Amino acid sequence: MAEPARPGWNRRDFLGGAALLALALGIPVAAVRLTDLPDDEAPSERQRQLMGRVAQLVIPRTDTPGGGDVGAGDFTLLALAHGLSGSGAPVSSGSIPGLVRHLRRDGSLRHAAWLEAELDHRAGGDFLGIPARQADVLGGLDAAAYAEGQDQHPWRTIKTLILTGYYTSEAGGSQELRYELVPGRYDPDLPATPQTRAFSSDWTAVDFG
Amino acid sequence: MEFDAIVVGSGITGGWAAKELTEAGLKVLMIERGREIRHQQDYETETKAPWELPFRGLGDAKLYREQYPVQMLNRHFTEFTQNHFVNDAENPYTTEGDTAFTWFRSYQLGGRSLTWGRQSYRWSDYDFGANKRDGHGTDWPIRYADLAPWYDKVEEFIGVSGQAEGLKQLPDGRFQPPMALNAVEQHVRETLRARWPERCLTIGRTANLTQAKEGEGRAHCQYRSICARGCSYGAYFSTQSSTLPAAQKTGRLTVITDAVVEGLDYDPIGRRITGVRWIETKTKQHRRATSRVVFLNAGAFNSVHILLNSASEASPNGVANSSGVLGTHIMDHANTLSALALMPGWEAHTSFGNRPTGVIVPRYRNMDVMDGTGHTRGFSFQGGALQSTWTAGRRDPGIGVEYKAKLRHPGMWRMVMVGFADCLPRPTNRLTLDRSRTDANGLPVLKVDFAFGKEEHAALAQAKADATEMLTAAGGTVIAGTDQPGPGGTAIHEMGGARMGNDPATSVLNKWSQAHDAANLFVTDGAQMSSSACQNPSLTYMALTARACDAAVTMLREERI
Repeated sequence: MAEPARPGWNRRDFLGGAALLALALGIPVAAVRLTDLPDDEAPSERQRQLMGRVAQLVIPRTDTPGGGDVGAGDFTLLALAHGLSGSGAPVSSGSIPGLVRHLRRDGSLRHAAWLEAELDHRAGGDFLGIPARQADVLGGLDAAAYAEGQDQHPWRTIKTLILTGYYTSEAGGSQELRYELVPGRYDPDLPATPQTRAFSSDWTAVDFG
Repeated sequence: MEFDAIVVGSGITGGWAAKELTEAGLKVLMIERGREIRHQQDYETETKAPWELPFRGLGDAKLYREQYPVQMLNRHFTEFTQNHFVNDAENPYTTEGDTAFTWFRSYQLGGRSLTWGRQSYRWSDYDFGANKRDGHGTDWPIRYADLAPWYDKVEEFIGVSGQAEGLKQLPDGRFQPPMALNAVEQHVRETLRARWPERCLTIGRTANLTQAKEGEGRAHCQYRSICARGCSYGAYFSTQSSTLPAAQKTGRLTVITDAVVEGLDYDPIGRRITGVRWIETKTKQHRRATSRVVFLNAGAFNSVHILLNSASEASPNGVANSSGVLGTHIMDHANTLSALALMPGWEAHTSFGNRPTGVIVPRYRNMDVMDGTGHTRGFSFQGGALQSTWTAGRRDPGIGVEYKAKLRHPGMWRMVMVGFADCLPRPTNRLTLDRSRTDANGLPVLKVDFAFGKEEHAALAQAKADATEMLTAAGGTVIAGTDQPGPGGTAIHEMGGARMGNDPATSVLNKWSQAHDAANLFVTDGAQMSSSACQNPSLTYMALTARACDAAVTMLREERI
């Protein structure tokens, strides 16, 4: 499809014109930090290290940064404390051993504490102390969580938030994937190759994918 | 304060009323309950990237549960758009018994014109004749021919892109060039055309410009598909991009924001509205103005609220309610995900850009042959084909380099078909004032009593079966689908409550959207609807508004009101 004509008013005009004011007025990004969390929700330093490491294992550094590199671990902890992606909902503790002692009074799970205990258990000790085996241990948990009938497994929730933290980061969204805020046109049918990269700015795909 | 006209509300129809009335030479006051939002200057998140927001666009779920428990259920409610929706905790309403109604609202200058889905469809005589044909509700006092020229006017001004298809059930309009179908959608269109000629998959008719309207400062769509954040290009129709500047250009418009109308003053002898009263929400001061004519455009449910809350000794059941039907026969389309299918075989195809509309399959049941199973009206589909992206990784096992590599590429094509079924007008589905609870302005809150009936359930059951059949025929593998509607309000097409009709004893408004009981009162938002059809209603509200404005101006000139 040919690029449509852009009579009169194009992107450059827009960005150079009155809308610069709008850009400058952008809402202040509230500085939401882990340290702002109430004491009973604030993660320990070890949980921060562990979640950062786990994020890096899920999305390793390749030709682009990894999950831990971009802070997906801290994002996950913040997201868990605020209940994103359903993580604040009561969980059914029946089918997964070891959940009960990590439940809050409202039946929701303290995911970070559970993960810490679960990985230490699977590692037979200190998960952070066995770097060479970490991928295998986490891979084992992942396999268990994606087994038939484990749709509500808490690791799936944590992994979802790690993915969110990574692919909505600047590196994950615009280096690993492509980010185009203003495509300017719609090409309905282009050839795709194994090298074609997805767009993190394909909002419909993000919603429905 | 004295005006020729007062327009209550600044959304899709309020903007139109202000434009038409000021352009006809009237001095108009527009009263908006929410805050001011200035075009281009106040779209605060428009250009933000996810990494510039604290919760990366998902928003603070804890805050949402506490403050936005209803609005958060809207797919378009995100961290990018939350400032364009109401705070539920500050704007309560109640529901009857164990019924549910998700009332999605935007209290601000421009109202829901900033957040609407932009789908713009004409209704046909299958719709305007529906009540008469099957006996539900009251007959519309108008037919398609009455509205056709007003559809022309509205489409040309707001800019609707779409494909002419020559369908009786979905009349063609004055379209800008259509947006394109992607490869999978084109394939499904051809499959349907070959097997079911009456089932037409076509691109959504959407109020996004494919050609700039330079004289009006509106650029063509940039294919961002982030419309609900606000669009500084003015590429989709909103009050801010379109009708408000036109009205302001006349020099005859006064706009007041942060002012919630509490009631209308009614003179039962002269059968006229003699004043509009409002509360300044910031100061809690009460104000009043008078005008020769009043247009209610507060949104279907809030226009009814104003009329109910205008009760006085002379009109104890509310203004314009001598019939007793005010608040009754409310509707919303029964709406659900009819089918979701994986569409294998299209891996060599992709697309570029974010098209801000999906596709539709207009109604094809119960037209000239009554072939609906258990229902007498129509259903239609909206949806589209898309490729998945990183979010698909949530469902997939794996960690590490290979897992990351897989998520780098667009995933398998999938196609979604969302059913919208006609909702019968029922006297039991109604709005009342709940005087047991008041809002922050001291006004009684609205109580919604709404449930779908067996006809809507039957229509969605047939929609699910049909969608499954169509996607399967096109080579898809259906992996999900339901025949259960979401709660009322899900379609965000709530309407009715002040229905139009020929008989003052059984309807609130006449064929000019004019109150039977008050000649200088017009209600031209969704409240006036006598039936729901199964297509998106906003274009029809706009056409009815433009038509009513013309009628009101004529009546004023002839001193009939």
